Amino acid sequence: MFEELWRWSGAFMQGSLVILLVFIVSLVLTVVWGLIGASAKLSGNRAVRAAANAYTVIFRGTPEFLVLLLLYFGSAVTLTALAKLVWPQTRFVDLSPFWAGSLAISLIVGAAATETFRGAFLGVDQGQIEAGRALGLRRSHVFFLVRLPQMWRLALPSFGNHMNSLVKDTALISVIGLQEIMFTADMAASTNSMPFAMYFTVALIYLAFTTIITATMRRLERRANRFTAAAR
Amino acid sequence: MSFDLPLMLLSFPRLLEGLSTTLRLLAFSLVFGLAIALATSCARNTRWLSWPAEAYVYFFRGTPLLVQLFMIYFGLPQAEFIRTGPLWPLLREPFWCMCLALSLNNGAYVAEIIRGGMLGVGTGLKEASWALGLSRFHQLRFVTVPIVLRLCLPAYGNEVVSLLKATALASTVTLLDVTGIARSIVAETFAPYEIFISAAVIYLVLTFFVQTLVTHLEARLDRHAQR
Repeated sequence: MFEELWRWSGAFMQGSLVILLVFIVSLVLTVVWGLIGASAKLSGNRAVRAAANAYTVIFRGTPEFLVLLLLYFGSAVTLTALAKLVWPQTRFVDLSPFWAGSLAISLIVGAAATETFRGAFLGVDQGQIEAGRALGLRRSHVFFLVRLPQMWRLALPSFGNHMNSLVKDTALISVIGLQEIMFTADMAASTNSMPFAMYFTVALIYLAFTTIITATMRRLERRANRFTAAAR
Repeated sequence: MSFDLPLMLLSFPRLLEGLSTTLRLLAFSLVFGLAIALATSCARNTRWLSWPAEAYVYFFRGTPLLVQLFMIYFGLPQAEFIRTGPLWPLLREPFWCMCLALSLNNGAYVAEIIRGGMLGVGTGLKEASWALGLSRFHQLRFVTVPIVLRLCLPAYGNEVVSLLKATALASTVTLLDVTGIARSIVAETFAPYEIFISAAVIYLVLTFFVQTLVTHLEARLDRHAQR
């Protein structure tokens, strides 16, 4: 069994790298969707608030897998139709599984992140914002220099959970053909007929990912709260 | 590209055929998952069983459900004793493999919720019930459980929704649940928007039902609470 694992270790390493890449890309996108959504939920405009709430309800109420399938196959239909308008001889265009997958899981976890960020923004003392305005800071400066740095500390605990969901959701992307560790395990299992060992390896790799994230987030939390610990 | 509304309406009855599989998976996994979670919670408080319980929760919360499912569905038959064992008639069926994966996954998350709820019961309450001379059973029955139930309900409701969404993975092991039927219709018509959005609407309605139910239950448990 260990010989088999050794034989496929290169492929598993490569697959892990793909997962890491998907994770990083979707993490950035998640933060973007989360911040936009949270700002929209706190906006004075009723239509904007409703749109942000609809985003959360829809993406938290439908299965992750279904969103992924919809985005992957849907984008293929849309892109093909658009391409045919420009070049009528086009046969087929699609978003690569990498990008469709990263987009899908970031949208799903981003929907949850909007709630986290919204709560964190509300946790920043209103007086801080007023003080910033009184100092003559522009709205964008108040957002990036006053509200954002202070809200991170409050968002960290939940955000760690979101990061773990993100990593675990990357496994789904193998279904639409991304060549990551699940794909490697499929390949390996079909040739060496040791499916349990192969999928167990995949599980251990994911466990390593989530353990590292949890440990890192714990340290970050401690660091973010280093000046407030005495106050509690 | 156009949006084919008649196709959407036509596909609805077929998608609803998958509803029974989705709901059966949900129901079985809820019951088994809760049983596993309760057993795990009890094991965590014992001396010798606490570390296997911790390991179980750690493993199933730290790995993706899809991997767990594939380990069970494709992986378990690798072992000779599974194929000759008494559980083989069940483990041969994708439905029961999916149920097992969902239950184990759900059990780990719910065990963690129960632990959180247990921590929410104040030490003062335990001391008070001890001082009143309540037996351990009566303390559990009249003090701990009611409080833990109320504390856990919101998180448990979210977990039910997660479980419902997780049933969508059934189609990866050839089951024809709502998502599975949606995938087969898309393979025939190649109209992903119409079909997958119809399926999403079904899940959204189910999610809404679950959430309404939980809200009602919360209000019921709160009926004696002072405002």
